[in-house]
Amino acid sequence: MDTTRRALLQQGLGAVALLVGGGAVAAEPGRSVAVVYPDLGEPYRQVFTSILEGIEDKLRGVASVAVGNATPPAEVADGIRKREAKVVIGLGRGGMRIAAAMAGELPVLVGCVVSVQESEAKAFPIHTLAPDPALMLARLKKLAPSIKRVHLVFDPRANSWLVKLARDAARAEGMELLAQEATDQPGALRLYSQLLASADPTRDALWLPQDPTTVDDNVVLSMVLKDGWNRSIAVFSSNVNHVKRGALFSLYPDNVELGRALAVSAQRLLANPRSVPPAVLPLRETRAAINIRTAAHLGLDVTTAQAGFDLVYPTN
Amino acid sequence: MSRGSAGLPGLLGLAAVLAVVPGLAAAQSDEDELALAYGDQRSVSIAAGSRQPLHQAPAVASVITAEAISAMGAVDLDEVLESVAGLHVGRAANQYTPLYIFRGIYSQLTPQVLVLQNGVPMTTLFVGNKGNVWAGYPVEHIARIEVIRGPGSALYGADAFAGVINIITKTAADTPGTRVGVRGGSFGTRDAWVLHGGKLGTLDVSAYLRVGSTDGARSIIEKDAAQPAVTRAPGPVNLGHDSVDGNLDISQGPWRARVGYKLRSNVGSGAGVASALDPVGKGRSERTEGDISWTEPKVSADWGMGLQASFMRYVEQATTNYVLLPPGTTLGPGNVFTDGLIGGPNKWERQTRLSGFATYSGFSGHSVRLGLGYDDLDLYKTTEFKNFNPNYSRIGTGSWADVTDFSNTLLKFMLPQRRRVGYVYAQDEWRFQPDWMLTAGVRRDHYSDFGSTTNPRLALVWSAAYDLTAKLLYGQAFRAPSFNEQHSINNPVIGGNPNLKPETIHTTEASFAWTPQESLQLNVSLYRYSMRDIIRNVPNPAAPPAQLTQNRGEQTGHGAELELVWDATRSLRLTGNLSVQKSVDETTHVDAGYAPHRHAFVQADWVFAHGLTLSGQVNHVAGRKRPAGDTRAAIRDYTTLDLALRTRLAGTAWEISAMLRNVLDADAREPSLSNGGIINDLPVAPRAAYVQAQYRF
Repeated sequence: MDTTRRALLQQGLGAVALLVGGGAVAAEPGRSVAVVYPDLGEPYRQVFTSILEGIEDKLRGVASVAVGNATPPAEVADGIRKREAKVVIGLGRGGMRIAAAMAGELPVLVGCVVSVQESEAKAFPIHTLAPDPALMLARLKKLAPSIKRVHLVFDPRANSWLVKLARDAARAEGMELLAQEATDQPGALRLYSQLLASADPTRDALWLPQDPTTVDDNVVLSMVLKDGWNRSIAVFSSNVNHVKRGALFSLYPDNVELGRALAVSAQRLLANPRSVPPAVLPLRETRAAINIRTAAHLGLDVTTAQAGFDLVYPTN
Repeated sequence: MSRGSAGLPGLLGLAAVLAVVPGLAAAQSDEDELALAYGDQRSVSIAAGSRQPLHQAPAVASVITAEAISAMGAVDLDEVLESVAGLHVGRAANQYTPLYIFRGIYSQLTPQVLVLQNGVPMTTLFVGNKGNVWAGYPVEHIARIEVIRGPGSALYGADAFAGVINIITKTAADTPGTRVGVRGGSFGTRDAWVLHGGKLGTLDVSAYLRVGSTDGARSIIEKDAAQPAVTRAPGPVNLGHDSVDGNLDISQGPWRARVGYKLRSNVGSGAGVASALDPVGKGRSERTEGDISWTEPKVSADWGMGLQASFMRYVEQATTNYVLLPPGTTLGPGNVFTDGLIGGPNKWERQTRLSGFATYSGFSGHSVRLGLGYDDLDLYKTTEFKNFNPNYSRIGTGSWADVTDFSNTLLKFMLPQRRRVGYVYAQDEWRFQPDWMLTAGVRRDHYSDFGSTTNPRLALVWSAAYDLTAKLLYGQAFRAPSFNEQHSINNPVIGGNPNLKPETIHTTEASFAWTPQESLQLNVSLYRYSMRDIIRNVPNPAAPPAQLTQNRGEQTGHGAELELVWDATRSLRLTGNLSVQKSVDETTHVDAGYAPHRHAFVQADWVFAHGLTLSGQVNHVAGRKRPAGDTRAAIRDYTTLDLALRTRLAGTAWEISAMLRNVLDADAREPSLSNGGIINDLPVAPRAAYVQAQYRF
């Protein structure tokens, strides 16, 4: 084929592609959005599949890429550029790596992470998996209206941002937040022992944050749940796993709704890259779990309490 | 792009962002992070999946999740059930149909167990169990299996007697995306399936389709019930079959509709329908079911409601008539069957069930559940082809050509039968102290054929400490006589008895759940039961038939189960259970026989990085005595070892599994019936290997 003919053909095909592609873009804004998520095995893979389902519900035709730990970010970024994506949603730590790498050239947002580095926090909006303190404390208020003080032991390196939100939320609910800092497990254990010994069951509750440093599953959690039970102190948690073990309640992600919320943010970035500033955001798309054995022990009305919860422990 | 901090309401200011310190996140892997919000590997699928049913009535129960099923490398329901404390899966000679033996309660076809699929009985009317031409149940579309040991008639009605097995299939939330899988291995076994969950407009849709085929293990029966001169023994059992399974689950808000299909064709006769090897006869079962339900937990502040209508059509046929006894069999002088005793009974059933429930929480400390329902259970057609008369005299020369259609005569095995059941029940959970709850329930069933039965239940639950819960339970249950037991005719050996009453059981249980450490859970259950009016075949003074079914037997038993779950390390979980029981036939005052006195199951699951899992399971079945009058030596104990390895192919959407069953090729045998003619019992589960590949879109 001579050069002229080839050029003509390419021009023609290009025009067709433009027409078809242009139409598709107009009908499916999702084509302008790429979602990058970590390539994990089951059962965690199911989390991302559900989030993707929520994103696709709002943004049809979205391109999704699963990245392994060993995949060079540059390679993934190249692939996204070739798709001519205009916004990147990075999910999980794996997705955030790619989003961070592309943040200089495209609007990006991140979802489905717990801990956030300073540089990342300044660079783009991050939807974390930490349940919004406002939702947590509203649940607490509804379940146990007599509670006036909420104790929280936290690692300032992980959860300072959340504590600020928590203080505002407590104020809004007419409660007081008593937050104490601990940077290691022995320190946390000491604080928990002291506050459980002195807490007033009628007006004090204890909140366990998502923090592997201060809420060690074996030592700290066992002690807190046991002493909490023995002293009839309400212990609630931002980790749903703790409910099965005896925490009063928790909130956990509603994956499909989280996907929809990410899609809405991406749409706003598409429309106007300045519309969504960098920030760390708590999780507002939640489901709820309750332990009715604990609720009963605390003297709460179990039948009323369990309404509005998606997971109920124990099941029999 | 701008990095300005012009915050929106609800967004966090830069000052708080700056408080996030570098270095912290580096130590966290994606799995570690997700575990903080969703729970660990074993609970994430619950948090990520469909909503759990609300709190159920107190019982001694086990729940096996899809993740646990996948980790153990199980390919069939029976492999999963064998891992449950207090439950052992035996085999019948006829079709090698699985027998679910709970706590020492054994019978020829175990209709004392209620098998439910999504809460709807799978019970077939002819023999009262889940159907003899069963030929397996796949696991890929199972979300979880709930197994209740002990009686459940106060809630579930008939046959929730020794135990209840409820198979919950996956909904759209449990199976996001599409998975296709293939599996192949020993005995010419091959399976392919597709599983999909997603949206269709505003509907949540889950769909499953599987096709499979196997030649089945060819274990040898040394001696069978055929006459020595003509027997095919020693010879192999016939376990081949073809399978098609389909499920469709559509839901929107409070509405849910399901359609299910299970076809088994070319099903081999096992060790023979009459305990004589039969390589010729082939069975077929086709189960088509559908249900529609509406469930609203909050109709008003205090009331919840639910309605369900379900339909099942079940057909069981001999597509090639069974050779009940081999060619040359002689039944009396001059009564030689040239091609053997040939017969093919066929049944068609349809079952319609309507039910409704209401919950009320308006009384402080009480949670009340009320329900009612109506079942129309219709075995509407029977046909039979055979080359013998009701007195076992041959037709013609007893050849294939002499096989005669008795379908439109009164000389077939059973005429069509129908029963209607109406029921009401009430249950109250009363929390009379913060740590004490008393559950009281009662259900009354009225059967159009044998009348009414009332079954109560009581459960006292005490949260004794942070880490200890104690339960004391009492329940009565009944098993409805099957149509075969009531209405079998033209059988010179056993005749039906329309005057049968239901079998009954009274059970008292105590259970303790203790969590001494976060990584260790222990459950101990103790029980004692007493069965009355057991339906048995009893010599008939006015023979023929030689025996009649009668409410004659009594059996008592007691036992204990110990269950343990230990997360030894982050990557190693050990689970195990030990069940012991002793059951006595009160008619003969000797051991009831068949069921294991001791059953131990231990499983170790290692979870490595990148989705690699390794599971090993040891199953020990011991102490199976012979029943009264059976002089054979006690059946030998056996121990099997199974291994399963599962991994994802790096950088791909492929997941590969390898399963080795009975790695050491132990000679595992299940007891054959006393006087059944098969002397050396039923060989099961020889060494087998399977490889499976799944691709996820």
